[in-house]
Amino acid sequence: MKSAPFTYCRPASVTEACALLAADEDARLIAGGQTLVPMMAMRLARPTALIDIARIPELAFVRREGDHIEIGAATRQAFAEANATVALDLPLLARALPWIGHSAIRNRGTIGGSIANADPAAEIPLVLATLGGAVVVQTPRGRERFAARDFFLGPMTTAIPADGCLVEAHFPVWTHQRIGACFTEISARHGDFAYVSAAAQVALDDNGSCVACALGVGGATAQPTQLAVDLTGARINETTAREKLSVAIETLDMMTDPHASPAYRKRAALALALRALLAARDEALAKRART
Amino acid sequence: MNAPRAFRYISTDRRVREDRRFVVGKGKYIADIAAEAMLHVALVPSQHAAARIVSIDASRALALPGVHGVVDGAELAAACEPLMNGLDTPHVQRYPLAVGATRYMGEWVAAVVAETRAIAEDAAERVDIVYEALPHVIDAEEAYKSSSTPVHPAHGSNVLLDRVFNWGDVDEHFAASDSQLSLRVTWGRNATVPIETFGVLAQWDPWGAVLDVNASIQMPKYADQIARALRLPMNGVRVHYDVDVGGSYGVKRGIKHSVLTGYLARKLNRPVRLLEDRLENMRSGDAHGPERIFDIDVAFNSDGVINSMKMRALDNAGAYAGRAPFQLGKPIGAIVGPYRIKSVHYHAISVTTNKAVEEAVRGFGQSPTNYAIEAMVDRVAEAVGVDRIEVRRRNLIRSDEFPYLIPSGTRYDSGDYHTVVDKVLTHVNWPELVAERDRLRDEGLMAGIGVAACLEPSGGNSSFEPLLNPKNTTTTWMESCRINIDALGDINVAIHTTSSGQGHETLVATAVGEALEIDPARIRVTRPDSLSSLPGNSPVGSRMAIMLGGAAFKAAEKLKDKFRAIGAHRFGCAVDAVNYCDGNLSHGEQSLKWLDVVAIAHRHFHELPPGAEPGLEASFIMQTPTGEALPTPDGRVQMYPCHSFEFHIVLVVIDPELGKPDLRRYVIGHDCGVVINPHIVKGMTLGGIAHGIGAALLEEFVYDADGQMMSQSFMDYLLPSASEIPHVEIVHHCTPSPLTVFGQKGSGESGYLGAPAAVSGAINDAVRALGIRFEKLPIRTTAISDAIAEAKLKGRLP
Ligand SMILES: Cc1cc2nc3c(=O)[nH]c(=O)nc-3n(C[C@H](O)[C@H](O)[C@H](O)COP(=O)(O)OP(=O)(O)OC[C@H]3O[C@@H](n4cnc5c(N)ncnc54)[C@H](O)[C@@H]3O)c2cc1C
Repeated sequence: MKSAPFTYCRPASVTEACALLAADEDARLIAGGQTLVPMMAMRLARPTALIDIARIPELAFVRREGDHIEIGAATRQAFAEANATVALDLPLLARALPWIGHSAIRNRGTIGGSIANADPAAEIPLVLATLGGAVVVQTPRGRERFAARDFFLGPMTTAIPADGCLVEAHFPVWTHQRIGACFTEISARHGDFAYVSAAAQVALDDNGSCVACALGVGGATAQPTQLAVDLTGARINETTAREKLSVAIETLDMMTDPHASPAYRKRAALALALRALLAARDEALAKRART
Repeated sequence: MNAPRAFRYISTDRRVREDRRFVVGKGKYIADIAAEAMLHVALVPSQHAAARIVSIDASRALALPGVHGVVDGAELAAACEPLMNGLDTPHVQRYPLAVGATRYMGEWVAAVVAETRAIAEDAAERVDIVYEALPHVIDAEEAYKSSSTPVHPAHGSNVLLDRVFNWGDVDEHFAASDSQLSLRVTWGRNATVPIETFGVLAQWDPWGAVLDVNASIQMPKYADQIARALRLPMNGVRVHYDVDVGGSYGVKRGIKHSVLTGYLARKLNRPVRLLEDRLENMRSGDAHGPERIFDIDVAFNSDGVINSMKMRALDNAGAYAGRAPFQLGKPIGAIVGPYRIKSVHYHAISVTTNKAVEEAVRGFGQSPTNYAIEAMVDRVAEAVGVDRIEVRRRNLIRSDEFPYLIPSGTRYDSGDYHTVVDKVLTHVNWPELVAERDRLRDEGLMAGIGVAACLEPSGGNSSFEPLLNPKNTTTTWMESCRINIDALGDINVAIHTTSSGQGHETLVATAVGEALEIDPARIRVTRPDSLSSLPGNSPVGSRMAIMLGGAAFKAAEKLKDKFRAIGAHRFGCAVDAVNYCDGNLSHGEQSLKWLDVVAIAHRHFHELPPGAEPGLEASFIMQTPTGEALPTPDGRVQMYPCHSFEFHIVLVVIDPELGKPDLRRYVIGHDCGVVINPHIVKGMTLGGIAHGIGAALLEEFVYDADGQMMSQSFMDYLLPSASEIPHVEIVHHCTPSPLTVFGQKGSGESGYLGAPAAVSGAINDAVRALGIRFEKLPIRTTAISDAIAEAKLKGRLP
């Protein structure tokens, strides 16, 4: 488990990183290395050169920008997990981050690395897809913004061009008074990639009626999937929610692997999405209505 | 009766002395040992389940700077003897590298030696091998058919062992019983998978003509096997025992690695080290455990009393013979578990397949057998409609029946099973536990309680060797200890083996301290190399508390006799009139202090009794308390001497949709006789339970139908982590063994021997109402959910 030989460089800026990438088609960016290093150790990935972006200052930040929060690609997952802005304005991301592996992994793993890696079971991409966020990719030709739904193309495949570096992720911020969020998943062991994960964020009005609702499932399908379920305009009750979720999940094309059958994934997706939704609703209900 | 004696140091709350160096990171593991100018090995694995090796071309590898050599199986076969087989199967030959054909995916075809491990891996990719795929067989039942493709054509079939034993009047007992039932349960292929993979460093000294070997080894007859394979005299192999082994529980056998590395070191005349990486360990290290299908017929009365059992055990040994088939032999010594089953028919079958080679794993086949027995007892309880604990009580051997002779010829030393069961039931508050399970069920969860009672045979002799291989007539499996009191009166104890976490230094210091009445903290324990060692058989078979503890105690007793002789000479009295207390001697008003005796022995020959040797040294080579007789022609044998008992109770809650089992409560009653160090026994028990939970729910080396291994790393071979292991409550009991020096029994396999049965029993209790039964381990979350969903679809809802 020693990687094939490679060269290593640490550029000072994204522009420089993109130029290096463009110059060598077998070069790879490395951020936290929590996916890439094991792949290299098993020689499943064999880049000729590693371009380390983990310490580029312009890539590490969390900031509020209008109706969303922008997170720099090289921001460590652990940093975001402990960040007050994330905790306050992105409750769904805050709930999702602790599910990623173990804390040692989150200390090194980055927000951008997880998104660029696009594992179907990864938590951060699911949050991005569920909330309908976007990412910004820089190439030698400039910067381009992709909506999440146009970005995740399949397992470990994204819209990033060969000479592109993901620089920012944009997570929409909800400004409603009564918001609840829940992230949950099932795996064989704590810290494993999920067989299926589910994310839910809801906003309720003073009467408890749903005014906004975002739902998604991960691990089940080839890319994180935002569920097309509209529950706005009424209180969320379990029976109708289950019906609508069943319909939405029934149409999804489930993955199969030795660990979990498509039937399992479908069953778990429904169960988890419903649990996440109801937990999010209950959290929102527990918040005080304006009097 | 049988009350434990009072001790000074034994059983007291004393630190495990090894722990200090481990917790500060100062253990000396094989990867910490480097030699000057050392070279590194990487292996070229086969990608085929079975293939003929058409050609091997190493020229591109050898052209790489830093590469010192590439060897293949043909070269080794010419220069070495085949590795030792347990059974008399001369045509199932194994060498460290594949010779002519490869027989499982991952098998090593060539070894590359280079300046660094990274260069060796680069070069390994450049060894060009042409294969011609051959037919393969993966499934054990398939392999057992005479029509199957033999993994070793020269052997003629895949059958390594196919033996039927009949102990007692099985037919008569079946005919006389009220009912009978049949079941099949399957134990999945798992192992111990230690954090530290296997590693070995070999150095050849051409001037001394000695091969020096450092290895993370836990292997009986290790030096012998290397010497034989490399055609060296045994005094030409020096194994260093002062290497800390980072986990083993059976699998650190590394014999093929060691022979290969020794060969390379001699050939290249450079120190050579081979450290398996995780892939090499998991797919090619020949360190998988038993994989076994049990078919059982059981005959019982309507009250649940079990009269007789027919068990067929089919074990998938993988591609080579090794010692795997013996893992069907050891359980013969506890084939009826803790129960009074009157007769047994046992059909033991071991077959070769195109899977990695099976090695010893904690319990040496006993845990799978215990799982099968306990699944059977649960089925009997269900059939007669009697509570599972009550059925066990009706069958458990009573304390007044010991020593108890079981049908297969082994005498159990001692036990008090009913009392342990009572203590555990009181501890858990059984009625309350049942009520809690029912409450959880009312909440819509699936809750179940698992129960398992089983034995840990301990004190490892090797009686299964002559039993299964008539050419093997071994009747001793000794262990030894040597004590030397130096010229300043300090105590040095030598042991002659490596340790893989068992705490032998603590064990030996405690035993010697107890005998000499001296604080164990003052006793140094060392490990000379194999050339300076007395004979021994390594820490397997849950034997060291009994065997090494016994040898240490007896050596100390011999030393005390020397003390007394010196005192008698000085005092002018008989030897047994000399009083030994705290290391000092007295007779009436006369006395000799420890240091006075040391001075006489080391400096005052004129004060020694006539004929006495100067100095203060004693050694003891201990024979196992049993195993000195060959098996009877009808296959009865005294297997291990001592029998520890454990009784598990588990409460599990299953999420009915997601299928995930959550172990809410885990209680074990444990009786391993007199405990020498409570911390060590506790650690063994907790670790064993974790291991057993892994075997029950998570761990499996999976192969697909093409013989490709699907779980080659920790991504897919799932070990339980701290999050999956519940808090474990241990209820102690002590029934001393009459066969050992302190009354101790073994505990190195505790927990693991009953946990798989208990956990699977709990899951089956939880899903019973749905008409579901899981009869194959591991029981995966997704499989539980799928089965529940299917049952609900079929309308089997309660
Ligand atoms: C034991 C273990 C358990 C884990 N469990 C989970 C889990 O449960 N859930 C989960 O989501 N993840 C899990 N991970 C993965 C972890 O979250 C990784 O950190 C993450 O997937 C990749 O982030 P990284 O910064 O480490 O990226 P790297 O490993 O450095 O890179 C991953 C890939 O992304 C590319 N890349 C990185 N940054 C950029 C960028 N800015 N622009 C373009 N391409 C880029 C790299 O070239 C590479 O191809 C686990 C990892 C381990 C080792």
